[in-house]
Amino acid sequence: MASIGNQAGPQMIGAVGEGPPTEVVRLGTAKGNWFTRVGWSHLVGILALAFSLFPIVFVVSAALNPVGTLSSSSLIPSNVGFDNFGSILSGSFPRWFLNSLIIGVLSAALSMFISACAAYAFSRFRFVGRRPGLLGILLIQLFPQFLAIVALYLIFTEVTQLWPAIGLNSIWGLLLLYLGGALGVNTWLMKGFFDTIPRDLDESAKVDGATHAQIFFGIILPLVRPILAVTGLLGFIGAVNEFLIASVFLTDDSVKTAAVGLYGLLADEQAKNARFGLFAAGAVILAIPTVALFQFLQRYIVGGLTAGAVKG
Amino acid sequence: MAEVVLEKVNKQYDNGFHAVHDLDLDIADGEFLVLVGPSGCGKTTALRMVAGLEDITTGTLRIGGRVVNTLSSRDRDIAMVFQSYALYPHMTVADNIGYGLKLRRMDKSDIDKRVRKAADMLELGPLLDRKPKELSGGQRQRVAMGRAIVREPQVFLMDEPLSNLDAKLRVQMRAEIAQIQRELKTTTLYVTHDQTEAMTMGDRIALMKAGVLQQVGVPQQLYDHPNNIFVAGFIGSPPMNLATARLNRAGQGFELSLGSAVLSLPDTVLAERPALAAYAGREVAVGIRAEDMEDAALARDSSAQGRLRAKVTLTEALGSEIVAHFAIDAPKVVTSDTKELEKDAHVDGLLAAHQAINTFVASFAPRSRVRPGDEIEIVVDRERLHFFDPVTGVAVRS
Repeated sequence: MASIGNQAGPQMIGAVGEGPPTEVVRLGTAKGNWFTRVGWSHLVGILALAFSLFPIVFVVSAALNPVGTLSSSSLIPSNVGFDNFGSILSGSFPRWFLNSLIIGVLSAALSMFISACAAYAFSRFRFVGRRPGLLGILLIQLFPQFLAIVALYLIFTEVTQLWPAIGLNSIWGLLLLYLGGALGVNTWLMKGFFDTIPRDLDESAKVDGATHAQIFFGIILPLVRPILAVTGLLGFIGAVNEFLIASVFLTDDSVKTAAVGLYGLLADEQAKNARFGLFAAGAVILAIPTVALFQFLQRYIVGGLTAGAVKG
Repeated sequence: MAEVVLEKVNKQYDNGFHAVHDLDLDIADGEFLVLVGPSGCGKTTALRMVAGLEDITTGTLRIGGRVVNTLSSRDRDIAMVFQSYALYPHMTVADNIGYGLKLRRMDKSDIDKRVRKAADMLELGPLLDRKPKELSGGQRQRVAMGRAIVREPQVFLMDEPLSNLDAKLRVQMRAEIAQIQRELKTTTLYVTHDQTEAMTMGDRIALMKAGVLQQVGVPQQLYDHPNNIFVAGFIGSPPMNLATARLNRAGQGFELSLGSAVLSLPDTVLAERPALAAYAGREVAVGIRAEDMEDAALARDSSAQGRLRAKVTLTEALGSEIVAHFAIDAPKVVTSDTKELEKDAHVDGLLAAHQAINTFVASFAPRSRVRPGDEIEIVVDRERLHFFDPVTGVAVRS
């Protein structure tokens, strides 16, 4: 064995020396210049970025423009000041902002919980009316809530006479409405996610001695955090941004949400130009909680996507 | 500690599928009973009924003398090990093991103590702070076991707990589970489709087919005295060789025409099975275990009384034995049992070309020098032949 190894060595060296110098082939390189290979994607990215950033930059710059009129605002403000923020915070806006936050947080949290309960039942139990129930939710969801606004208005007029606290012109009435509206999509979204949690886990917990409530809170909910984060975020954004129904329901200045209130600033044709700076400042402030929530929940959302299937 | 008694237990699903028929099973206190059968035979359904995860359609289930038909799982004082282990992914190993105790509002220090004890028993000590996804398959299996033993329940229920492990680990865990069960003396119902697990682990085996219990007994009894062709074919590896033969009277005794070979039957065979005489002049299904055949070249008995002649098609030298496959000219046995066995082995279609040929598998001593293609003589231990009715598949005995 050893002699063969010794012979092989010099022979191989000789072979390399005798052969003509070979051309260096770099593997993994493609044809074409830099632009056709990579550059075009940068261009697309820059265009997409400009397209999406333009309105944000415009609003931020309008908010910082101390003159505060629509006609004087430009993409890059000539003068920078926080006058608009000062004046909007001294008016009704803090109240509107608070109303928006209350509705946003409560409707997100409550609809998340109600939908999770419904999704758990639809995913885990077999009962009469399960299929019709699921289909019913889906069908109702196909129609925009706005279609029902006349009916809703009539219903809530009755409700206002009986219980003014949850009727028209009350954020609690609007909250109730939002909860019902979000139920459909969230339940479907969550049910799909719940179905991916192996039933063995439920059964194992059941044998371990857990009740349905203990299984739901102790085993299932911690495992569906990503979908809770998604539905919570969507619920919050939806409630804070909703304008149409809120504008019909909320007319008193003290109960308006920020979206309705800010629109009110521009309602007057003459005031539209003059108050644009205020409007923009309010819009920027209103965006803060949404962005903050997104940052906070990002971990769960991304975590949920990458964790993949939970092998029991 | 408790005994588990099933009396005429039935399970019929809403769609009409009858999964378990009149199951009678009596598991003694501290016994390790293995419920075995091909997939879809209702063994897991039976286990789930004992666990309380499946309703009992009719019949009575008693655990420790108490009828528990309508009792929920949590009140039955049982612990179950799932095929998928069903570990809670968001909890550490310690929390997984202690979850059942926590639900029972046990003191935190007591939980700690018992979790540690169970972990030591399973050598999980260093892993207590890990999450299930950071564990290997074997470790997960141990955690699932730990979760069961920490509760100190009256009954362990195990649903194919080793089927997700690789072959080597399976052999190791097989021994460990049996060892733990012997130490704790907890009544255990263990479901598996693997006859090796059934043979090696159980105090007794209960074999099911299509929802019907076929035979219950200690492993050796099922191996030596199967009730029917299904039990004969399912228990044992390689499975029992079966062929259709004709039983003829020859003077005072009987002889068996097995294809072109004729085996004269010793008197003891008939003395043990008086019912066999009724098959004289008729066909009978004959079963021969692989180890009851020997290469004639090695046999001391030189009489030509019990010999088959065949051509070897394949040999597998395992060191301790040589497994020889050879074609035999006696027709195959075809009953509902053999069809069920073939379905379980997934041979239908796959081996369609060979179906016409009846192949026997024999285990020869390693000294045998047989090679594929050899024409050899095989000595059959005629005392250890098995006889079954060729139509019903029921063993012919008294």
